[in-house]
Amino acid sequence: MSATSDLSGGVSRWLLRKLFGMLLTMLAVSFLVFAVLELNVDDVAVKVLGQFSTADQRHAWLVQNGYTAPFLLRYLRWIGEFVTGHWGTSTYYREDVLTLIAPRLAASGLLAGAALLVIVPLGLVMGVIAGMREGSFVDRLVSVFAVVTTSIPEFASAVFLTSLFVFWLGWLPGVSTMADGFHFRELVLPVSVLTLYSAGYVARMTRSSMVEVMQSPYIRTARLKGNSMRRIIVRHALRNALITPVTVIMLQIPWLMSGVIVVEVFFAYQGFGTLLYQAALNTDIYLIEACTMISVVVVVLTQVASDLLYTWLNPRMSIRTARTAAGAK
Amino acid sequence: MRLARRIDVQADDDAGPILAVEGLSIALPKGADRAFAVEDASLELRRGEILCVVGESGSGKSALSGAIMGAPAPGLKVVGGSVRLKGQELTKLSERAWCRIRGNRIAMIFQEPMASLNPAVPVGLQIMEVFELHAKLSVAERRERALALIRSMQLPDPERIAASFPHQLSGGQCQRVIIAMALAMNPEVLIADEPTTALDVTTQAQVLKLIRELRTLHGHTILFITHDFGVVAEIADRIAVMRHGRIIEMGEARQVLTRPQHPYTRELLAAVPSLVPPADQGEVMAPAAKPVLAVTGLQKSYGRVHAVNEISFDLERGTTLSVVGESGCGKSSLARILVRLTAPTAGRVDVNGKCFLTLTGGELRSSCRAVQMIFQDPFGSLNPLRTAGAVIARAAVLAGADRRTARERAGELFDRVGLPREGLQRRPAAFSGGQKQRIGIARALAMNPDVLIADESLSALDASSQAQILALLRKLQNELGLAILLITHDLRVAAQISHRIAVMQAGRIVEIGPAERVINSPEHPYTRELLESAPGRGLV
Amino acid sequence: MSTQHVWLKALARPTPAIGALLVGGWLIIALLSHVLAPYDPFHSMVPLMAPGAHGPDGSVFWLGTDSLGRDVLSRLIYGARTVVVVATVATLTAYAVGISTGLLAGYFRGRVDIVLSFFANVILSFPVLVLYIVIIVALGASAANVVLAVTFGSAPAIFRIVRAITIDLRSRDFIAAAITQGESTWRILLVEILPNSSGPLIVDFCLRLGYSAITMGVLGFLGLGLPPPTPDWGGMVNEGRTLAFAFPHLVLFPCLAISSLVLGLSLLADGLRRPASRLGKAG
Repeated sequence: MSATSDLSGGVSRWLLRKLFGMLLTMLAVSFLVFAVLELNVDDVAVKVLGQFSTADQRHAWLVQNGYTAPFLLRYLRWIGEFVTGHWGTSTYYREDVLTLIAPRLAASGLLAGAALLVIVPLGLVMGVIAGMREGSFVDRLVSVFAVVTTSIPEFASAVFLTSLFVFWLGWLPGVSTMADGFHFRELVLPVSVLTLYSAGYVARMTRSSMVEVMQSPYIRTARLKGNSMRRIIVRHALRNALITPVTVIMLQIPWLMSGVIVVEVFFAYQGFGTLLYQAALNTDIYLIEACTMISVVVVVLTQVASDLLYTWLNPRMSIRTARTAAGAK
Repeated sequence: MRLARRIDVQADDDAGPILAVEGLSIALPKGADRAFAVEDASLELRRGEILCVVGESGSGKSALSGAIMGAPAPGLKVVGGSVRLKGQELTKLSERAWCRIRGNRIAMIFQEPMASLNPAVPVGLQIMEVFELHAKLSVAERRERALALIRSMQLPDPERIAASFPHQLSGGQCQRVIIAMALAMNPEVLIADEPTTALDVTTQAQVLKLIRELRTLHGHTILFITHDFGVVAEIADRIAVMRHGRIIEMGEARQVLTRPQHPYTRELLAAVPSLVPPADQGEVMAPAAKPVLAVTGLQKSYGRVHAVNEISFDLERGTTLSVVGESGCGKSSLARILVRLTAPTAGRVDVNGKCFLTLTGGELRSSCRAVQMIFQDPFGSLNPLRTAGAVIARAAVLAGADRRTARERAGELFDRVGLPREGLQRRPAAFSGGQKQRIGIARALAMNPDVLIADESLSALDASSQAQILALLRKLQNELGLAILLITHDLRVAAQISHRIAVMQAGRIVEIGPAERVINSPEHPYTRELLESAPGRGLV
Repeated sequence: MSTQHVWLKALARPTPAIGALLVGGWLIIALLSHVLAPYDPFHSMVPLMAPGAHGPDGSVFWLGTDSLGRDVLSRLIYGARTVVVVATVATLTAYAVGISTGLLAGYFRGRVDIVLSFFANVILSFPVLVLYIVIIVALGASAANVVLAVTFGSAPAIFRIVRAITIDLRSRDFIAAAITQGESTWRILLVEILPNSSGPLIVDFCLRLGYSAITMGVLGFLGLGLPPPTPDWGGMVNEGRTLAFAFPHLVLFPCLAISSLVLGLSLLADGLRRPASRLGKAG
């Protein structure tokens, strides 16, 4: 009732508030990252110039690069440069960070996208079938599958799958460097590892949402109206049951990013994850800063997208309400 | 073709019952408190009548309706007996055959109207679905019929209603939509399972009136399930009384209501609070007595909405004031302000002559005992992990007793509210709803309050426990001289215990006066409407 | 039905029983590593022996030796101790932070809640692994910093759970009753609210202990975990990775170890979910 009272004005206000929150979060994150990595300037000099540089060299470098300025001023200058795309030079690769990251991001996007294409349909179908009849054999099977797969860390399932398909059966390549161009075969294992973990998770979410919906009074109404079981599921249950998992999938993307890092490192896939990993091993701080900021941007964007999607899918929320009420008038 | 067959059958056994239930038994899952939800139940539903099945919670009346629809609740199983619709046996039907009967020849309306509609589908489409399932009509025809149905439910602006989602409608509107859906195929039997329980009194009166009118107009045959004898008196042609899964009495409405045979029926009827205030309630104490609770110009606003608007009243020692109103009228906000759970926007509350709302620190600790509350929901008002004894003893400690005396006091209070002392060691889950409310009362009494606020404390209870708690409150008032503020939606409950009644509407008190005067000669039109809506005025 | 009875009954079903068995087994191994391990986990002997091979003195390396000639079985057994100690300490620390902040935010709402929730959101907008990498890069790899990283990573999630439960419980009438009786806020938080949220928290604790073990494993696998030569399952995988093609035993056994431990915790959590939800609802 109150949802109908603050209509179209509420939607744009809600959006603005979301965007403002997002900006604020990004600012806080950037400050945190900068503080953690660059508060101690001597550390920065060691990281950039290496352990064997002399104190004089470091001092000269610090003066030259404006590190004598107070911390807050340095932060403001850094964030300003960051926003305008000046992300500095990688100390390890000796290359501009921006040009270094761009192709790697595309490669990781390809991997994550391919994984999502498998995870989403697989997880949803398993979850729906399991949740249709709580306690059935299929339900228990899916639940056990989900518990097992979500318990195996990505590096372990990578080891298991590699042992099986590479060492023992010899069907698939054990590395995915894509050294001589794109090979679909090299994508199979990384995608499988990512799928194994996330599909179980999505199936679990979908199942519990489906179980909850199937117990709701309106499903009973649909049954007592004379709907067949199949029609109840297709026409009444699915729509409501998928609202939660669809948003969960969006929120799965940051998890997927963590998984992608592990998988890329394991299979030597030349993506964003291996870049961050190399940066971490070599304390390449400008590269780490850039990679971190990018991953946070991705997470925050998916959070907002997930919010929007939820609002759009759920008729009880304001956006849809506004539209239908306006249409009815 | 089916239509033709139906007419034939109809002609054949016009005289016989439409629905015949014979020796029906429904088993409960193992480990339940009894073996059968329904045991050897037999009843007949005659053409065009309204048969009310009455019983308290757990009597098996909803299990009965589920079994008749071929859809027993999970865990329940029909183990014997038969259900025949115009001679056709239903208990052995396949799910496929059921799909042709449900919503078509037998339809049902439910207790929670809003939750019973699909939240993601406009209600018009949900009505149209019935035609899609059971009739061969074009989309345009379905739409037209659905709109016509909505109109016949006396809903305004059918086009707009049809395009609305359930959450955009009120509870009463949702219930009308569900009735429309149930009546779409003009079913031979309509089952109504507590259809008005979740609705406000005035809405309930309107929905009952609608059902009566539709029956007169179309001759529907209705099985009406309820716990409320007031509703029964409004609507029943015949009555079946259920207890512990058995039908213990059945007969014409007038006969059961005026000359009940079974002692349990008499007990149930006696428990229905009457609108006539009891004679021994007596007059308000001498007006010279200083009020223990004085409320002046109380206001609580949320933006432009005034939940509580300019409310003033006094409450004297040993008297009861009832605040009566429908949901959303602000009566619960009022209660929460009086126990300092919510801060008011303006106004003052004096307890024993001291301003209660501005107290702080030690003064607050010594005075907050003066006003105590009994809550609405017996399940939520007790910490599920603490024993009844610990809860009451803690309250006594807070009132200043040391631990030993507090434990003794818990025992005394258990006696006082009529609970056996063994219960002191038990957790709330071991008690029934009525018993939990008694624990809640004991907890409040442990603080030695001057004012007891009961916020809808009876509404979650069955009629018989309601009557017992009312009697307990009256007894405690006489013994301890408590001032009681009863917040309720039920004028009948108010009439039973109040010296004075205040009627609240949209945040304001529209009428306040001695109970007898307010009930017998109401001045405000809203009070009159409430009185007219109270079901079962014919009773007693 | 008494509470203990409900928990025992839950454990009697097959899946949680398997979970309890796995977790119990690893706990015993962690507790008795110094008795059970056949060799000193740091001592170099013959490098890269296959599982079951005999050493020059006739002793058996049941799971083979690694590239530095250390007994894999002994390192695995001592690795159990490492993971149990570090993951438990890390998870408990995260719980201490998450519960205290969650209770405060959920009970008081308002400004406290806004600030704490914002902080939690900021941390949650890092992909977990990126957060760990930043912390470890800035502070260096050590047990203490792994604990710190896990605390940072888990505390916001625990905060959210506790906050949500507290908000729900806060609206119950038994809290209102305590307030109207002048009960102190501390007592309300610790006696009325916290015990009633224990059901979901026990389940979450099992799961989160598993996550912490996974995190340690991943950090070790990336070479950012406990510094060598500490026996650490993730680290063993990292060290053996380049030789895995010829000597799969170097990576397979630690992977099996961590998977079985986490699986045990998940099964346990799954089995406790039902009694836990009953604990939360009705007692």
